[in-house]
Parts: sequence; C-alpha cells; structure tokens
Amino acid sequence: MKWLDEFSENSARSMARQSSRRSFVARLGTLMLGAAVVPLLPVARASQSKRPSAPEESGDPRNCDYWRYCAIDGFLCDCCGGSYNSCPPGTTISPITWIGTCTNPVDGKDYIISYNDCCGKSSCGRCLCNRNEGEKPVYMPSLSNDINWCATSSVDIPYNCSTAVVLGLAVADT
Amino acid sequence: MLKPVYVYTKWYFKRTRVLPSPVFMKAKLMLRKLIFLLWVLSLPVASQAEIKPEGVPESVVLSAEPNPHWVWVSDIVFHHMADGKAYLVDGDSGRFLGMLSTGMGFVALELPSDYSQIYSPETYFSRGTRGERTDVITFYDPRNLKPTGEVVIPSKRFSAMPTHNYFALTDDDRFLIVYNFTPAQSVSIIDVKERRLVGETTTAGCALVLPSGIRSFLMMCGDGSLMTVTLNDAGEVTNKQRNDPFFDPQTDPVTEKAVRWGDTWIFVSFKGDVYPVDVSGDQPKPGKSWSLFSAAERGESWRPGGIQHLAVHEASGKLYSLVHQGGNGTHKDPGQDVWVYDLKTQQQIQKIKLDRLATSIQVSKDDAPLMFSIFIGDPTLDVYDAFSGKHLRSVHEIGFTPTLLQTP
Repeated sequence: MKWLDEFSENSARSMARQSSRRSFVARLGTLMLGAAVVPLLPVARASQSKRPSAPEESGDPRNCDYWRYCAIDGFLCDCCGGSYNSCPPGTTISPITWIGTCTNPVDGKDYIISYNDCCGKSSCGRCLCNRNEGEKPVYMPSLSNDINWCATSSVDIPYNCSTAVVLGLAVADT
Repeated sequence: MLKPVYVYTKWYFKRTRVLPSPVFMKAKLMLRKLIFLLWVLSLPVASQAEIKPEGVPESVVLSAEPNPHWVWVSDIVFHHMADGKAYLVDGDSGRFLGMLSTGMGFVALELPSDYSQIYSPETYFSRGTRGERTDVITFYDPRNLKPTGEVVIPSKRFSAMPTHNYFALTDDDRFLIVYNFTPAQSVSIIDVKERRLVGETTTAGCALVLPSGIRSFLMMCGDGSLMTVTLNDAGEVTNKQRNDPFFDPQTDPVTEKAVRWGDTWIFVSFKGDVYPVDVSGDQPKPGKSWSLFSAAERGESWRPGGIQHLAVHEASGKLYSLVHQGGNGTHKDPGQDVWVYDLKTQQQIQKIKLDRLATSIQVSKDDAPLMFSIFIGDPTLDVYDAFSGKHLRSVHEIGFTPTLLQTP
C-alpha cells in the first residue's frame, strides 16, 4: 500500500529528502536494468525468488529512514509483530507486489527490494512510512506503492503492514 | 402603627402577645419591597410559553438542488479501512451536512451531472475483515443520504490509495465503468439506469478509467499510451484500440491524477510537464506539451505533488496545480502553494499561498467558485475564494485521513 505522508510537515518531504536522492538518476538507470535482469517481472514473485544470505546492514528497521524502505508505503511490519522480511502472526503475505531499488549504505550496492504486504487483519496502525524513490503511477503496477497488494493474497484486501524483502542485487557484481 | 405579633415561648408553649421593635418592622418592609421587585422582574419570564415536548426527532432532509458550494470529502480511514466514509460540507457556512458509510477501501463517490443519485463503489466482507467478499455499487438518495439499492459487481474492484480515475460514468451518465485489479486488469460495466451489471472485459496492460464520450473511455497503459474502449448502446464493448505512447513513463511519467477540461484531458508529469489530449474525435489526439514551471522555477525544484494535485474550473479555463519544492520521489508530497494557469494561453496567472499544507485541492463549478483544500494528515478543510485566493474559513475535524474532494 502506499502512503500517508506523515502527519506533520516534516514527514513526507523530509523522509524522501533524507534518502540519497542525489544518486537517483544513476539508480533509476540501475532500476531499469535491474528490472530487465530479474526474471518474471513485471511482477516480482517473492516466493520464487532466491534470497541471498542477509547482507551486512546498518540502521533501525523500525525507522522510516532504514535503507530498505526507500520506496515503501504503509505500516512497517517490524513494528507490528513481524519484521522487515516476515509477517506478523496470523497475517498472510501477498505473493505478488511492487519492487524498488535501494542502496545499502554499508556495502554501497543497489538491491532490488520486494515490498510484500501482510494481509488478513485490519491496519496495524504503527510506524507509518511513505517514501517514493523510483516509485511510479498505478498504470505501472510493478513499481507502484499506491496499490493494495493484499488483493493478490489468499485473504484478499484487508491490509495489515508492509515488509521489505531483499530479492537480490540490482546489478550483478562484475 | 405597630402591630402586635404573637410569639411562642420555648418551654411553655404559651402564646404571648408582644409588640415588634421599629428595626424589625423596617426590615420587614424592605423584605416586602424586595419580594415585589422580584415578582415584577419575573413577569416577562412567566408570560412566555414553556418549551413543548418535541416528540421523536426526525432526520434532516437536504435540498434536492445541491448548492454548488457543497463539497464531498472522501476518507479511506487508513487506520480502520473497513469503515470508509464520505462527508458533505457546505463551503459557504462551513456546516457539516451529513455523511455516508462506504465500506472497506473506500475511494470516492461518483456524482452524475444532475445530482439525482449518488453512486458509490463499495466492498464488504461477511465477517468484517474476513469471510466472503462482496463488491457493490450502492445507490444513495442525495436528499436523505439513504441507500436506495445496489448492484453486485465482480469482487475485483481496484484497491489502492485513492484517486479520482479508478471509476467513472460515461459522458451521458448511463454507464459506470469500474477498474479491476487482481492483478489481472479488467473493467466492470454497470448500467446505472437499469441498475444491472452489463459485464466485464479484460484490459491487459492498461489501468484507470477516463471518460471520452457517451460511449467511450480511455485507459492508461504501462508504455505511456492510451487505450480507447468503445461501447454500444447496451454497454457492451465493441472495440479496444491501443494508441501510440504520448509520453515516456520511464524518464518522467505523468501522474494518474489527470483532470478533464471539456474535451481535453490534462496530464501532468512528475516534473511538471503538461500533456493535453483531445478526446473530441474517435481516437485521442495528444496536443503540444508545455510546462508548469519556468527554467528558473525548475532550478528552484518546484514540482507538482499530492493525492489530488490538479483541479480545473471549466468555465474560466483555469488549471489549479498544487506545488511544492522537492526533488525526484516527491510526486506525492503535500504542498502549500497553488499555482493557477490559463489553459488557453498556457500561462501562469496567479499564485495562491495556502494557510496550511494540502494533499488535495478542488474547485467548485459555479461562476463564483470556491477552492477547497485538505491534507490527509490534518483533517481540516480549508475554503478559499478560487478567483482571489482569499482564505474564507477552516472547517475542522473532517474525518481521519481525508483523501479526495468532489463538488456537485
């Protein structure tokens, strides 16, 4: 799901500004390239992806500034009983979702992030976060965080929270 | 003359006649005067009729003719999405007139041009947030705001952050077209006159509904093109035609929040380029693009942004654009500035500074239009004179996460 730019003046603007926009143009290129090298797009299928071992990371996954959240929109599952890559108890993951490309500040590499929604209960209501780096309108669904991706889950559209799962490097190391 | 009074002694219970003192008599006289004064003062009150019993309260009935300064505020209620709402506010008085309960993942109402009905695409689950899903078009009476009927539609209605183009009526208000996403893409077609589902058609690669005639509508496709869908008089699809891309969605996509000015749809890109598309013919005809911003303004990082960042005043041909200063990735950021453009000359003609941040703006359709603004994070509806830009009033406590504004 997308959204709710914060309930204060600082929110949406500051969040988006804080996250390495200087390299946006470069990363937009890698995003486009990444979209070409990741199979099965335009929609990313988390269940079929080969998830690499967790890279070294820094930051707080309960904070909107966390590097994986560069294109997230919704309540952070890490604040809701799940984690950045797992759903809270009793919720069901959306197998199909939107992707973003975010730079891990520790290794400086760009990763494709799958923002799977967790579904089947009402909104968690905690840690609302909306960042839109590389995000696109809903007529480009695989890159749009406005869409309630719970529509693709077995429990339908009741939306609880959003995860940020690493699918892989945006561009393979050379 | 002193009058004797009778007192009773404490122990003997014997009545004794005594004469009162002058001081006592003076106090007694003053007390009488005071009582008389109070009686005189009480006369007007006593002469009024008492409040009569009022009986069982009746519900207010609204005017059949809507005031053009009314505004419907949609609320997805993001923290409790099973309980969507729509609020009706009078922009002239700031009075809250009534509301509708509109189910889960509420987007907006659909208002026909004669305002004889209110249509609302809604979703319900049999157990609140689980169980069987039922999608309906609910018909409401605009006078008493009660449901008068419904049409069950495929349970595929697009669930997303609201914008106005997820469903629409054809230009003659006969057919309601609803975009579906599961993620398979399709539209449902409803005959609102006969209150029946006509059918569903697939629209692979294309999303949203932009009316382009009495029997046609456009959809936006992922490659930057439009698709024209044509209906017959029964509402059945007779043709689907993909057109050439008219913008590059990879470098600078237009937002899905396009607005219509007569036979022209106005699309605006993340960076502020305006793409007019003429829909007066059988197929859409893109016009020459222009920019909301001068080179200097681009240098100052001015951008359009918000949930409903565009509004048109049809008669005067003015485009209202909610803008802010920000870089890439700020296309949904709120703004505190509304810049106004003459659509004929494509020139900026006015800058309006809002009293507070906004994510949505709307302009009423009349000749003395109001401009409304609201921020999803601060549910205060602000009302402005749309021509002078003067702030007229603020209406507080309008919902929880207000998204879209609609004027009859």
